[in-house]
Amino acid sequence: MRHSRHPLWKFGRFLRDANFSHFVVSVVVILVIWSITSATIDNPGRYLPSPLAVALSSVDMLYKGILPSYFADTIRRLVLGSIIGLSLGIPFGLLLGLNRTISDMFYPLLNFFQSISGIAIFPIIVIWWGNSDKTVLAIVLYTSFFPLAYTVLSGVREVPMKYIHAVRTLGATRFQVIRDVLLPGAMPSIVTGTRLSISFAWRAVIAGEMLAGREGLGWMIFTGQDADLTTQVILGMLMIGCSWIILDHYLLRPLEMDTIERWGLVQR
Amino acid sequence: MSIPRNIAMALYRRFGRQRLRRIALGSIPFIVLITLWYMNGIFHWLPPVFIPTIYSVFEAIFVLQEGCAGIVEIVALDNNCLMTTNIFSSLGRVVLAMLVGLPLGIGFGILAGMNRTVSKFLEPIGIFANSISGIAWVPLAIVWFGVGWMTTLFIMLNTIFWLMFFNAMLGVRGISRTYEQSVLTLGGSSWDVITQVYLPGAMPSIISGMRMSMGFGWRALIAAEMIGGDSGLGFMIFSSAEEYKVEEVFLGVLIISMIFLLTDRYLLMPLEKWTSNRWGLVWRPA
Amino acid sequence: MPAKLIVQGLSHHYPDEYTGESVHALDDINLEVEDGEFVSVVGPSGCGKSTLLNILAGLLPYREGSVTVDGNVIDGPGHDRGVVFQEHAILPWRTVARNIGHGLELQKVPKGERNRKVKEFIDLVGLEGFEDRYPHELSGGMKQRCAVARTLCADPVVMLMDEPFAAVDAQTRITLQEELIRISIATKKTILFITHAVDEAAFLADRCMVFSRRPGRLIATVDINIPRQDRNWNEMSSNSEFTRARDQILKLVRGEVSADEA
Repeated sequence: MRHSRHPLWKFGRFLRDANFSHFVVSVVVILVIWSITSATIDNPGRYLPSPLAVALSSVDMLYKGILPSYFADTIRRLVLGSIIGLSLGIPFGLLLGLNRTISDMFYPLLNFFQSISGIAIFPIIVIWWGNSDKTVLAIVLYTSFFPLAYTVLSGVREVPMKYIHAVRTLGATRFQVIRDVLLPGAMPSIVTGTRLSISFAWRAVIAGEMLAGREGLGWMIFTGQDADLTTQVILGMLMIGCSWIILDHYLLRPLEMDTIERWGLVQR
Repeated sequence: MSIPRNIAMALYRRFGRQRLRRIALGSIPFIVLITLWYMNGIFHWLPPVFIPTIYSVFEAIFVLQEGCAGIVEIVALDNNCLMTTNIFSSLGRVVLAMLVGLPLGIGFGILAGMNRTVSKFLEPIGIFANSISGIAWVPLAIVWFGVGWMTTLFIMLNTIFWLMFFNAMLGVRGISRTYEQSVLTLGGSSWDVITQVYLPGAMPSIISGMRMSMGFGWRALIAAEMIGGDSGLGFMIFSSAEEYKVEEVFLGVLIISMIFLLTDRYLLMPLEKWTSNRWGLVWRPA
Repeated sequence: MPAKLIVQGLSHHYPDEYTGESVHALDDINLEVEDGEFVSVVGPSGCGKSTLLNILAGLLPYREGSVTVDGNVIDGPGHDRGVVFQEHAILPWRTVARNIGHGLELQKVPKGERNRKVKEFIDLVGLEGFEDRYPHELSGGMKQRCAVARTLCADPVVMLMDEPFAAVDAQTRITLQEELIRISIATKKTILFITHAVDEAAFLADRCMVFSRRPGRLIATVDINIPRQDRNWNEMSSNSEFTRARDQILKLVRGEVSADEA
């Protein structure tokens, strides 16, 4: 039919199909429901400040420079924790995946520590190092290390034997098999594990800041509640949600998709 | 033949060479860790304030249960039976959150899986709700419900609901249309399709969702109890830590992970394996 | 006695999934299937065979024309028309016996009677000993037997079959075709069988309807006058009536294809 070629029709199609537009619609609906609820309850300033009040407080906090500084603190912790976590977790996972004896040795330990959540050992770390940056970082590291090592390990294990056999029959040495088959074969898992571990790290940063921080977004919502500043709590939550969505959708997921597509054969 | 050799042979026959090797190798790090821990109790490389002795962790059970007369008090959740009362308090919330969260999450998830309009609206909300990690809801929950039961329950419910929602939705979407059509052509109604195709078809996905719910929900609950609770294991270890009773914290951490390990290994994992086998899918350890 | 299935002036358009443009799938289809008759529908891929079947099954709403089964106008799916699908459509979470009895269960037939009928159809399709197996434990051929039994057990007025043997291997397909003949004799069911395989269409049916390429039009009806009892692959290959019918259908289908591509 002719009208399907019309640019307006195409634009309408884009609006209908793109996930983005659903997101916008949902956000608008939520904002409306939120405003109405806020307008009808008693004492909205305490229980549910209106979106406008939150927006105003964000302007205020931006102006005073508190929001950017808290945001930067949180991101700094996340980046630092993730870099250390990745640089420890990936090699450890690879080592376990490549060597039977080592993996037989450490696999049960890995399982055991994976079942002890980072948040549960929090009180212990606080006793050791008090409410400090070191404590938060330790929790971030602990939380991101184990899932990462585990994912990388299974990635190496899941490389199909036939690839290894094929390359071996071409005359490859053990080292060449690792370099040409196992490492690239485990690549999708390494990237998936990275995304997973950063998502855990993000949660851990927020939790850590709430329990033992002196600044950062987690601290902001925690003190906001203490000081009866609900606008600050909601603003912090929105910041946490939005930053994660942006980080995940525009950085981590494209990275993961790219690798999986490139190494598509390995993905089952 | 000597006795150790006999024992070795018996073990060998019981487990087989590979498994025996794996068990032996796997226990090495644990033995090393426990030995080091034990020796620390003697040589005090690290002060007991940081690392309690093994014995004191064991003793903490009786310290916490001090003044607890017996089974009756334990069952009555007496405040003198600190350990058991807090265990039951956490478990009670898990059960309650599951009882409410599972049906709600599964219901909405199936609805969203069937109906594009519902999913288009709920999915972005879910993505956003998920990206505000469970624990970040605690301060707002405290504002709404105050410190205590409701706040911790809310945090766990929030975590469970979205996990179940997404798992049930993706489960329903993954079902071949032919199943639905075949039930319709056999004379089934839409309700028959829901109960006999969508629900069982999404079951493997729902069960993995339940495993994830326990994994994430349990963590979220412990965290919530630390910040916004007045009972439960999270509250217990946090208040012990404030009094620098590190042995009680160690004990609490062990109990928390044991509860998780036991429910996961002996309840949810077998359930997951069973559905996958029955449904004819290849079972993969997660 | 009026025909069991009557299609009059049926046309169908649907919007393409990607371009959104209207596709003319069926054009003015008229056909009748008599009681106990075995009719096959054959045509090149994309000729709207599946569209026709989906409309007959009630899975696809139609606007132009009319379709009646046993005098009732079709309005949505119902147990008067049983469908055997191409893929394995038997539910993986039900055992063979519970799959076969599913139609009766949906019609709220009491358990005792249901079990009796299920047993009868298990015997008919030769699945004895597999009653309590799950579909993933069955071979492809056994799954399709189970699917046929499930459809028949619900006792439909007509059985619609949508390329049911397309996904099984050649050897199994031959066996299943011969069994379908046996089953059709035993149950005297009215059957509409959709396929793209000319051999199959000629072997199974009393009457074969040849469809053209899109928009699907009924271009010819070929009668195959061979008694049902005489239909087995050993004899058919040398049967002159079968060879004639098959070649005629082949020419009709091929003529369409080449005319279209030229």
